[in-house]
Amino acid sequence: MSENIKTHLAVLGAGPGGYTAAFLAADLGMEVTLIDPEENPGGVCLHRGCIPSKALLHVSKLIQESREAHKWGVSFSEPEIDLDKLRAYKDGVVSKLTRGNGMLRDQRKIRHLRGHGRFSSGSQLEVDLTDGGKTLVNFNYAIVATGSRPLIIPGLIPDSPHIMTSTGALKLESVPKTMLVMGGGVIGMELGSVYATLGSRVSVVEMLPGLLPGADRDLVRVMQKSLEPRFENIMTDTRVTAMKESARGITVTMQKKDGTEIKETYEKVMVTIGRRPNAEGIGLDKTAVKVDEKGFVEVDEQMRTAEPNIFAIGDVVGNPMLAHKASHEGQTAVEVIAGHKAAFEPNTIPAVVYTDPEVAWCGLTETEAKARGRSVSVYRFPWAASGRAITMDRIDGLTKLVIDPETERVLGMGVVGAGAGELIAEGVLAIEMAALARDVTLSIHPHPTLSETVMESAEMFFGTSTHVYRPKRKK
Amino acid sequence: MSIEIKLPDLGDGIESGTVSSVFVKEGDVVEKEQALLELETDKAVIEVPSDSAGTVSKVLVGNGDEVKIGQVMFVLDSANGGGQAPASPVEEKAAPAEEKKEASVLEPPAPKKAATETVVSLVVPNMGDGVESGTVSSVFVKPGDVIEKEASLVELETDKAVIEIPAEAAGTVEKVLVSEGDTLSVGQEICTVKTGDAVAEEQAHSPESASSLAMEQSDVSHLDHEAIKQREREAMAVKPRGQKRDPSKIAPASPSVRRFAREIGIDIHQVPGTGPGGRISVEDVKAYSKMLNSQGRPASGVVSAEPLPDFSKYGPVETEAMNKLRQTSARHLSQAWSTIPHVTQFDKADITALEKMRKANGKKAEAAGGKLTMTAILIKVVEAALRKFPEFNASIDMTKNEIIYKKYYNIGIAVDTDRGLLVPVIKNVDQKNIINLAVELTEISQKARAKKLTMDDMQGGNFSISNLGGIGGTGFTPIVNAPDVAILGVSRSEIQPKYIDGAFQPRLMMPLALSYDHRIIDGAAAARFLRWICQVLEEPFTVLLEG
Repeated sequence: MSENIKTHLAVLGAGPGGYTAAFLAADLGMEVTLIDPEENPGGVCLHRGCIPSKALLHVSKLIQESREAHKWGVSFSEPEIDLDKLRAYKDGVVSKLTRGNGMLRDQRKIRHLRGHGRFSSGSQLEVDLTDGGKTLVNFNYAIVATGSRPLIIPGLIPDSPHIMTSTGALKLESVPKTMLVMGGGVIGMELGSVYATLGSRVSVVEMLPGLLPGADRDLVRVMQKSLEPRFENIMTDTRVTAMKESARGITVTMQKKDGTEIKETYEKVMVTIGRRPNAEGIGLDKTAVKVDEKGFVEVDEQMRTAEPNIFAIGDVVGNPMLAHKASHEGQTAVEVIAGHKAAFEPNTIPAVVYTDPEVAWCGLTETEAKARGRSVSVYRFPWAASGRAITMDRIDGLTKLVIDPETERVLGMGVVGAGAGELIAEGVLAIEMAALARDVTLSIHPHPTLSETVMESAEMFFGTSTHVYRPKRKK
Repeated sequence: MSIEIKLPDLGDGIESGTVSSVFVKEGDVVEKEQALLELETDKAVIEVPSDSAGTVSKVLVGNGDEVKIGQVMFVLDSANGGGQAPASPVEEKAAPAEEKKEASVLEPPAPKKAATETVVSLVVPNMGDGVESGTVSSVFVKPGDVIEKEASLVELETDKAVIEIPAEAAGTVEKVLVSEGDTLSVGQEICTVKTGDAVAEEQAHSPESASSLAMEQSDVSHLDHEAIKQREREAMAVKPRGQKRDPSKIAPASPSVRRFAREIGIDIHQVPGTGPGGRISVEDVKAYSKMLNSQGRPASGVVSAEPLPDFSKYGPVETEAMNKLRQTSARHLSQAWSTIPHVTQFDKADITALEKMRKANGKKAEAAGGKLTMTAILIKVVEAALRKFPEFNASIDMTKNEIIYKKYYNIGIAVDTDRGLLVPVIKNVDQKNIINLAVELTEISQKARAKKLTMDDMQGGNFSISNLGGIGGTGFTPIVNAPDVAILGVSRSEIQPKYIDGAFQPRLMMPLALSYDHRIIDGAAAARFLRWICQVLEEPFTVLLEG
């Protein structure tokens, strides 16, 4: 016997996009039903993604620093790692945040149906409840926020306990002696570096010529130089051609660009080659919603699908698959439903890689400017010239600004170094506000902080950086 | 514990209402279900009951205020404290829905009351963010007018845009309380309207309103999806998300300014910024909006375009985003079309002799790397004509009431490319011979088709030529490429019988059309200009004699 309910807004999926949308809708006075199998809102980001990985990266950084402290006259013995306790700490972080979200959901009186929802028409969702039974949700509006999942190539990658994706890696079941990270993107580098610090001998294999595709090479170089000593091997321009389960793990055959073959056995292989949108199995075929050939739900700039009362947001509508993109898209969709003329039109979506050093960028990258034939002025401020970086013994950093030489507008910013992720927000604000290089130099930055590197990069545009002597070339 | 009392969902289609009476004041103790205020919506006058019991601690609305669904109207201090918090959020949600029903069920008498005769005040509605007042620039109604709902009452010039204020109710206008030049603020009365029997009856019997009320009461599986879908379908006209935007071409405006522009229907990318580095401020957006309004709202699209029907109702359709070039020419041409009083003069030139000469000299041009086309010859002839008739080589400045005569001869050529129409300009035609022009024309056309034209290549023209002769046609009326004042259109040449010396002779005739700006050029001048061009094409020696 299925229950039949009616709701103004049904949100399918309670990740950062879905729950942000549901919360805002409730704040605007809408009656909202959230559909998600987890007990509390959070989605992949909070349960199996951004948050647990950051907890582990935090610990990993501490371990790394304790190993380096002898240079500053403080020596620790090699840390003992209690994996169960570490796992419990990480799980505690997740549960604290998701339970907090659960409270916020209840305070807003949002109905949460635990289960999997599937459209049965353009105005009804059929929800298979986790506790058994079924609920039919008749909605006026729906937001699809079903997210994405790790991509696996079934032909190449065997189904084996030695193979894991980010989800498995975050479970932290064991610290393997050897590990191959397949895919040198953001997730691979972050989790790979965690396992490396915990004691695994980690190798990375990347098909493309460099790590972190999309980031400027000068930033990646600094990160790679710092990480290389902690990794066993970083193989770029190398393709995995075969994988076979063996007694001791997975035997991987790889081929370099020049044709050389490498065969190696790893105890574990972590596959981080990308993520797939979750647009199948949710009954979109019963609606007018269109899905493109890559599997993304097609939406307009108001996040509306081809079915006029159904919206879609987050990973399921396209790249970049980032929580902060999803949540803003969710807010846009809700504002449109509330009758506002909103659209998702940020000037930039920042990207952060939480390795140590971190890499972060926003706006126009140097690489992109080059590809578009756009002439830009680029200024790099090396952290060796930053007082704060020197006090931290972290001169492995670089702050750069991409500036329009004509209007002097800040078009892009990139940072590599400790805490780069926190610094990038200033670049985002500068770009969104259409700040000029002069605006940045005339804003007083506190001393001594790493944020001064942003100000000084802007000063370099005028040839007057206090701590880097590089006079402006005469034209 | 304080409780916010929000305007509940009043049923399909009703999004807001105007407060006609507030029944409680701060400090009053109210019971659950007690009526708090009377609301005039476009369907009925209803009393809004309280969701809970308690003491009124804040009254956030007053008479004449427009209240939207979900808007907080009152704050109550609840007697029961936290005990209100329901065990299940679902039940709590169900409660207001119940009252909503009551309100709806109770109210059908209201329209009936109105049916006899009701005088309604029409007031200045909430005009959205920050706009509180405006100056009346036009009044569209007078006493005795029978108006429909949504009919424009007045035009109001606010500091953000010029807005027409629609009637919130239909009926016969009784009194008009405003006149041109008055400053009105939100909530102020514009006029009073007597809602007649017919109108009220229609409301009472409207199947839509009846069924939507019914639906609220019937079981949950019944929703008015179609109404919602229809409403959303109409809102769907926004452009598709398309490819990733070029991050180097983003508008230099802060997010709040971009949001503001979107709300008043302005494309931020069209707004010229006056701040440092071209930064666009709210003031720039307002100035641009005012400018568009004062120009009679040309085809910038959003502001003036009438809503399109849903074509997909009639058959399959496909939408495609206009490329930048198409958007630019659409805007530019609408602007030219709506500001220039166009007249088109037609004539025909006998080019029998010229065509022979053109063919005979084709090799020379080829040797120089060009193609001796009729267009190349026309460029030179037009340049001679511009020198002879200087008012055709001019622009007008209506803001200063001046005519600007140009002492240089740059001629634009319309080129058809796969992306749309482009008009590269050939500069200093007076310093070039026809062979030079043929070479340059060949180069610049190739450049246009290969997308290699620079801004410089397309600026600075004084007069344009559009030759469609290669495709066909007997004549057309080109649009003047403002700020030029004239344009020459060329159609396909044809052998036609011409009566010469007592007999018909086959002659190759080229049809020409000259569109001109009648503000500066008189009909006689245009006829002379075009005739002179024809004559030169027939007797090139004329140029040496007169040109």
